[in-house]
Amino acid sequence: MSGLDPAVKKETLYAAAWVLLLSLLMQAVFLIAGKWDLSVLLGNLGGALIALGSYFALAVTVSRAVEKGKPEEAARRVRASAGLRLAGSALLCVLLVAVLKTNVYATVIPLLFPRIGLFFRPAVDRKRGVTPEEPEGSDLID
Amino acid sequence: MELAMGIMLGLLGLGAGCAMIAGIGPGIGEGNAVAKACEAIGRQPECKSDVTSTMIMGCAIAETTGLYGLIVAILLIFVAPGIFTGILKDAVNAMK
Repeated sequence: MSGLDPAVKKETLYAAAWVLLLSLLMQAVFLIAGKWDLSVLLGNLGGALIALGSYFALAVTVSRAVEKGKPEEAARRVRASAGLRLAGSALLCVLLVAVLKTNVYATVIPLLFPRIGLFFRPAVDRKRGVTPEEPEGSDLID
Repeated sequence: MELAMGIMLGLLGLGAGCAMIAGIGPGIGEGNAVAKACEAIGRQPECKSDVTSTMIMGCAIAETTGLYGLIVAILLIFVAPGIFTGILKDAVNAMK
């Protein structure tokens, strides 16, 4: 983890916090609905790990592609990574559901948790007092 | 009945495959966005941290479209056959 870009660590930790929070919420919903069993817990764990792994891989790929500074190579790497990540997520989800017999809904819903966290990102940043910096000379554009 | 079930399962598989086509678009879009981010960092290297953070968030949001496709495909493979088989059996019983 020491060789990683600080932005990668920050974004992955933010996504992990949301995945944890929303996973607990989903378990509570299953419990209240009376549909909770071990397959729900296993599915949630598997789905959350796949979602976080995919998000971490995305962050590392983007950070490394940007570091290299060659636009064509960066575009190629990110395109290849996007395809591989999606195929890997699909394969792992199918394996979880078909082999471990996990609950389908509890497996696929956590895939969206990091994105739900990003949806609330502006509100969280506003609450923490983080404002986007104005680029230098942006006042001259108008 | 078996023929109808076979056709139904085949069409569900075809639908799941078509849903996964949604995964192609986000990859192309992310690639283009990161290429432009590289150019932007080349022009203003001091913005690298901000651009990287924004790019990670942007790519994650762009990828959501592909994930929707993946979720639809998984539901078509694992959930829909049970539902449609029930509907088919009810229809056959009603016809008898």
